[in-house]
Order: sequence, then structure tokens, then C-alpha cells
Amino acid sequence: MTTSLHGSTEQEIAAVHLPLGRAEYRATHELQLRLHALRSQGVIPDTILSVEHDPVFTIGRRGSRTNLLVGKDTLEREGIAVYEVERGGDITYHGPGQVVLYPIVDLRDHGKDIAGYVRGLEQAVIGVLARLGVEADRRPGLPGVWVKERKIAAIGVHVRKWVTLHGLALNVRANREHFAMINPCGMKIEAVSLDDLVDRRYSLAEVISNLLEAMETLFGWRVVEEEPERFLKERG
Amino acid sequence: MPDVRLPDLGEVDEVTVVEWLKKEGETVAHGEDLVEVETEKTTFVIEAPQDGRLVQILKPQGEKARFDDLLARID
Repeated sequence: MTTSLHGSTEQEIAAVHLPLGRAEYRATHELQLRLHALRSQGVIPDTILSVEHDPVFTIGRRGSRTNLLVGKDTLEREGIAVYEVERGGDITYHGPGQVVLYPIVDLRDHGKDIAGYVRGLEQAVIGVLARLGVEADRRPGLPGVWVKERKIAAIGVHVRKWVTLHGLALNVRANREHFAMINPCGMKIEAVSLDDLVDRRYSLAEVISNLLEAMETLFGWRVVEEEPERFLKERG
Repeated sequence: MPDVRLPDLGEVDEVTVVEWLKKEGETVAHGEDLVEVETEKTTFVIEAPQDGRLVQILKPQGEKARFDDLLARID
């Protein structure tokens, strides 16, 4: 499975990591679209954004607001925004204490296999969790990563011109009350965070660098970190 | 009459048609977004293979499709 993601050659594929730190959803989404256009034109290599979002619920293409269980007043009080987005899947939550990765990847370099790509993202999360002492797995028909009956990472992807948008969200210490305000993916699912499962408190930066390392192996990347503003000034 | 078929998306059994971005009777340009399908939490946009008119949609919204299934005809 992993070999097909490497593309046709065994050479490493250059990739760039842009760490955004804490960032609002809308601005990050606009940046994704900009990078998607640049990647589609071949101006930039595969590029991975890492971000910790301000609280937000996003609804995928086949999602429904009926899976949002609270009203406008609660959303305003908690400072949670709601956006409808182009990725697959239903409603999901992003917020502080959660690692979000948006790989802007040209799948033509990775075997043109969208299911294989999603499994690669899941495998990266499962591998990192195993290294940190947590046994996690997939569940048939339910994309994402699970620790028994609880969901620790969500996956949602959009592909246009074979270039990806959106990606994965891994709960490190996410707000449990915010999660309880939705039926994630349209189902009654309980979320779990890494902090609930291990004694050590891992920083988001540690988790991000572990994920990128796992993805280097899975996707055949050699990831170089760049400062986002400088990268965009030079390449965008 | 040129066909619009579901491309090879890799190890994918079937997809669901999420939305047609063009209606029957509308003109389409080569490379223009035509229809969006979803599988495994992934949405995928299929583009028009050539200029023409979208004559017939054979897999409307909500229907399942497999690799090489006929989705629409463009004249």
C-alpha cells in the first residue's frame, strides 16, 4: 500500500512544511486555496500547512446543520464560527489543543489513488500514536482514526485537478464540551484526546514533527520547514 | 457522442454523486468543473473532457458509480 504513494520513482519528493501556529479558519482556508492553485500550476512542491485553529465547526459537502446541536446564542457565547466547506464528510470541530495538517499534494506524483492517500494519512496518525504508546486503528466504513469506540483523529479531503485540499485533525487536548455540541460525521461519536490516554503532555509542535516524520516515510517526502510569509513572498 | 466516465481514482470501489455543477442543456468548456463525487471522506471534482453541450446526465445526484461508469454525455 505505501509503495504506491511514492509515485513512479524511488526518489524522494521535495515537500515544504509551513507552520502557521494558531490561526483563524477562514484565513487558513484562503491560504489553502491559494496554495492549491500554485500546486496545480506546478509553481510550488507538495506543501503541508500545520495549524491550531480558533474554535470552529466546519460542514462538509454532504453534511447537514442538523448535526449541529446548539443554537446561535451558544455559538456566539463560546466564540465558535461555522463554515460550509468543500471537503468530503459531514460536520467536524477544530479548536485549540488539536493538531490540524493540510497537505496540498499533487496525487499524480503519488499513484493517483485517493483511497490510498486517505489511508496514508490515517496510517501516519496510527504510527505516531503507536510510538507515543496508544493503540489506535481504522474502523471499516468510518474514515478517521479510532481508539476503541472513540475517535481521536478526523480525516476530510477535497481533490480538484488531482491536487488535495483539507486533511487531518488529531486531538491532543481538544475541548470536550465543544465536541459534544455536534454529532461528528453525522453520528453519535465520542471524541478522545491524546492527553486522556497517556501520562505525558506532548506539545502540539512535538506531535506535528512526529506526524511529518511518519508522512515522509509514507509519501516518500523529504520535508523542509519554511517560514510561511517568506515562502509566500518568494513563491506565491 | 463523447462520454463522461468515472475516472480511475485508485483503490476505490464506488463513489456517490454529490452534485452536478452543470445542468442538462448547458454548454461546458474543456476543463470546466462538471460533477463532484465523494468516497471515503474525499470529494473529487470531475472536469468536462471537451467543449460542448451537456446533453444527458446518466448518474444524477445521490447515485452510486464505479470506475468507467457512464456519468453523462456531451455533444
